[in-house]
Amino acid sequence: MSSEKRAELFSGYQGEEGDLIPILQRVQEKQGYISEEAVRRISRFLKISENQIYGVASFYSQFRFTEPGRNSIKVCLGTACHVRGGQILIDAVERELDISPGETTACGRFDLQRVACLGCCALAPVVQINDDIYSRMTVIRLKEILQNYE
Amino acid sequence: MGKTSKTVQINMDNQRLEVHRGLTILQAAESNGIYIPTLCAHQDLSPFGGCRMCIVEVEGMRGFPTACTTPVEEGMVIRTKTSQVQAERKEILQLILSEHTSSCLVCDEKVECKEFMGTIRKAGVTTGCRYCPNDDQCELQDVVDYLELDEIGYPVYYRGLRVEKEDPFYDRDYNLCILCGRCIRVCQEVRAANTLAFKQRGRFTVIGPAFDRTHMEAGCEFCGACVSVCPTGALSEKARKWEGKPDREQITTCALCGVGCQMRLLIKGEKIIGSLPAQDPVVNSGQLCVKGRFCVTELVNHHRRLRKPQRHQNGTEVELSWNEAIEAAAAELSVCAPKQFGMLISPNCSNEDLYIAQKFARVAMGSPNIDSSTRTFYGHGFSAYLDLFRQSAPLADLEKSSDILCVGLDARFGRSVVGVALRKAMKRGARIVTINPRPHNLALMADIWLKPILGAEAGLLRSLVKMTERKNSTSRTRAKGQGRGLTQDLLTVAEMLKNAHSPAILVGSEFLQHDKSWQIFELVGRLAQNVGARILPLPAQNNLLGSILMGTYPEILPGGFSSADEKKARQFKKSWSVNLAQFSTGWNASALSTGPRLKVLYLIGENLPGFDQLADFTIYQNIYSPDSPTVDALVLPSAAFTEADGTFINGEGRIQRVRKAVNPPGDALPDWEILCRIARKMGKKGFDFSSAGQIHREISRSVMNLGRFHRPKRKPVPLTWQGRVNVSRPKPSGKVKDGKQIPFLLHASSAEHVYRGFLLTAFVEGARQIFPQDMVDINPKDAQKKGISQGDAVVVSCERFQETWTANIVDEQPPRTLHVTLHQSASLGANPHRVKVKKKDV
Ligand code: SF4
Ligand code: SF4
Ligand code: SF4
Ligand code: FES
Ligand code: FES
Repeated sequence: MSSEKRAELFSGYQGEEGDLIPILQRVQEKQGYISEEAVRRISRFLKISENQIYGVASFYSQFRFTEPGRNSIKVCLGTACHVRGGQILIDAVERELDISPGETTACGRFDLQRVACLGCCALAPVVQINDDIYSRMTVIRLKEILQNYE
Repeated sequence: MGKTSKTVQINMDNQRLEVHRGLTILQAAESNGIYIPTLCAHQDLSPFGGCRMCIVEVEGMRGFPTACTTPVEEGMVIRTKTSQVQAERKEILQLILSEHTSSCLVCDEKVECKEFMGTIRKAGVTTGCRYCPNDDQCELQDVVDYLELDEIGYPVYYRGLRVEKEDPFYDRDYNLCILCGRCIRVCQEVRAANTLAFKQRGRFTVIGPAFDRTHMEAGCEFCGACVSVCPTGALSEKARKWEGKPDREQITTCALCGVGCQMRLLIKGEKIIGSLPAQDPVVNSGQLCVKGRFCVTELVNHHRRLRKPQRHQNGTEVELSWNEAIEAAAAELSVCAPKQFGMLISPNCSNEDLYIAQKFARVAMGSPNIDSSTRTFYGHGFSAYLDLFRQSAPLADLEKSSDILCVGLDARFGRSVVGVALRKAMKRGARIVTINPRPHNLALMADIWLKPILGAEAGLLRSLVKMTERKNSTSRTRAKGQGRGLTQDLLTVAEMLKNAHSPAILVGSEFLQHDKSWQIFELVGRLAQNVGARILPLPAQNNLLGSILMGTYPEILPGGFSSADEKKARQFKKSWSVNLAQFSTGWNASALSTGPRLKVLYLIGENLPGFDQLADFTIYQNIYSPDSPTVDALVLPSAAFTEADGTFINGEGRIQRVRKAVNPPGDALPDWEILCRIARKMGKKGFDFSSAGQIHREISRSVMNLGRFHRPKRKPVPLTWQGRVNVSRPKPSGKVKDGKQIPFLLHASSAEHVYRGFLLTAFVEGARQIFPQDMVDINPKDAQKKGISQGDAVVVSCERFQETWTANIVDEQPPRTLHVTLHQSASLGANPHRVKVKKKDV
């Protein structure tokens, strides 16, 4: 990270502990995710350990730690979807694409996330890919749908 | 009773109690002998209120508040074990246990199992499963017993997490974790190491460092504090996993560095099974570093411990009885002329051993030839380093310091207790500056990291000294030659130190093997005088000061007097009734291989490669067998510091007691006892001691007052000895010729994880992971240019040596420099070395 970039990330902050969340938000906004390098910089700036920063950041589902894929798969694990097999869908994607939630495929085509309630519980289980919502998903349909994204 | 009174009246379980205001309900209960079950609360940690095991009923409060977070108030009526509370606790406990492997908790066979545990694990048995290493020492078991829980009414949900075994010293099985957060809190609040955090949340919550890093990668110091506070078996010490409960404990002083932490040895039968910090407010306030916490057991229980005296001759080893061994030693020594005798003793030995050793050389052998390999460890900086102690201050002064300068200090593994004190000082608002050319663990916390160019450290300190001289105002011109933004930082630091109301300087080991080390230490001394700072040198050897004050150097007599001091020599003549040898052979440890050949070399706790080639006959007295078969030597087994009584003087000058916890293995004896037996066999007077306490009394009577043996005064003694060690100064290494490409600069440190001449890595499995051996640090860019990748064998050479080491790529290693840590005996001489590097051809 160049020094201009660093200034851009930290400008306006005093280096106090309360600055952590706003800085994380700014990083995510600018870079799309929170990289290891960014965590290191923040740690130097705020004098908080990288471990604590990661702990705080990983608590909030808004932060991600891998570069987003070209397409992003969100599998709902809210109560309704969980009961109707959301986890099985996650397992299927994990096997199909060889990534765990929070990760991005090596080719950058997909990333996978688990989310809480997408707000259409009646249609559970629900999967969202980019802006498209797919309801009453099954493993087989999900695999087919994935073919449509490049 | 007014609001301001210090106590409040409460009613707990129908008892009227008067307790301190500000206590929590839990603390009030505990101080009055009322048991409330807890899982996440811990006396040394801030209240967390996470497990809800400690819920109680308080009249007028809704629901059940947690006792560990609720402060007592005037007139509170508290009930700790109503049936409702107990039922609720049971419910909560079941929920916790539904995620926790519980075979040891609610199994039908629990009772039988305890009795018939004799079966070998992994055999096909129906009783006696032992899932958790904490069996019988588990707080969860205690709470289950207390609540008489015998079944779990919820569906079990095991997380099936992988057991993390990749880090040294302890394993982590988070399937057993109840997320009480104690490990996180101790790591943050007490150690300020901040390695652990809760990650994710809800049902996915796990504990660990950032990303998927190992503890090693995340900066963990392996202090073991988290392992100690974990109420379950989730965190368990590798070396003590299945040892069970200790039957007794002994408080003693750690012998692995000059901090001199107080530790509790855990003993089972005749075996040390663990070491934990003692609650000692004077030195280490309940902390240990990785060496004290995790290395002691493996060191003292190693199979290479010597058990019987042996005679080694041309590859054969014959076991001897002590009588035979003593006779053999006496026979060789009786015919050895004073000038042909030499003795080296390790500063890891106790004062009593050191005193007897020098008395043996001076009185029994009539020879001044006693020395220590410490001389070669410190090299030409030895005298200047020792001078720093004359301005030294106790460690506890860090608490009062406003500005702390750390010179060449790294406190991640060794001396991490000092690192803890530094971080506490920082939290309190003290400013911290660190001078170090290489990456080190203070870099993150320091306000300013002065990063001198490798080889220009003395110049940097000289600038600081000049800038802080009273008559000079800090001026820009003084800092020339450092460049790269350093000048501004230097000015800031100089101003800071000059205006500090209570500055302190900590001296670590980075510069000990430097070719200008003596200058560096002299400059540190002057800087301290300029700004009125205290100095805290942190020696690697636990009893370095003991070796000076007991006089185990040719130039120094007991009490630290110069051996040229005739008045003192007359005094010793009187008390020992011998003439001290007045001849000077000029012999010392650095002349071993170059000086005239000795007839007998006596090594105590010293381990030199090829030592049996240095004299006609060698007596090798140590706790481990020699590294290689010896040609002709008498090998005598001594006791480790856990097996003998005595005293050490730590780096602050504090006299501390070492206590015998177990018997030495086999026939091994304390060093002083072996020496006394040989001296008596030789017919010498003044060696009739039967305990270390008697020797201690003689020292106190005739040399210096060390206080009573059983209650040594732990106040630091004034460190103002008069004798000095002679050191030669090296020729300054030539300047690089202009125009020529600068070769790589290699900096080699001497390993400090040493006990009695042996590297801890030889005996302690985990130590090999934290103290890399023969690894040479190189900057990633340089590595790329040379086509070197991590782990490659590389050849580092110059005119004087050629060595093959393993490449270790370190981001912050300064460009065109290399660093390696070597055993003292493999020393390459004073740093830095101009070397060439290449990947080894395969
Ligand atoms: S060993 Fe010490 S530094 Fe490492 S995680 Fe545990 S408490 Fe923290
Ligand atoms: S590892 Fe131990 S101390 Fe840490 S949260 Fe789990 S149970 Fe508590
Ligand atoms: S800091 Fe030194 S004395 Fe303390 S535990 Fe570590 S090695 Fe032992
Ligand atoms: S639970 Fe999945 S949409 Fe609500
Ligand atoms: S002990 Fe009080 S909530 Fe855990």
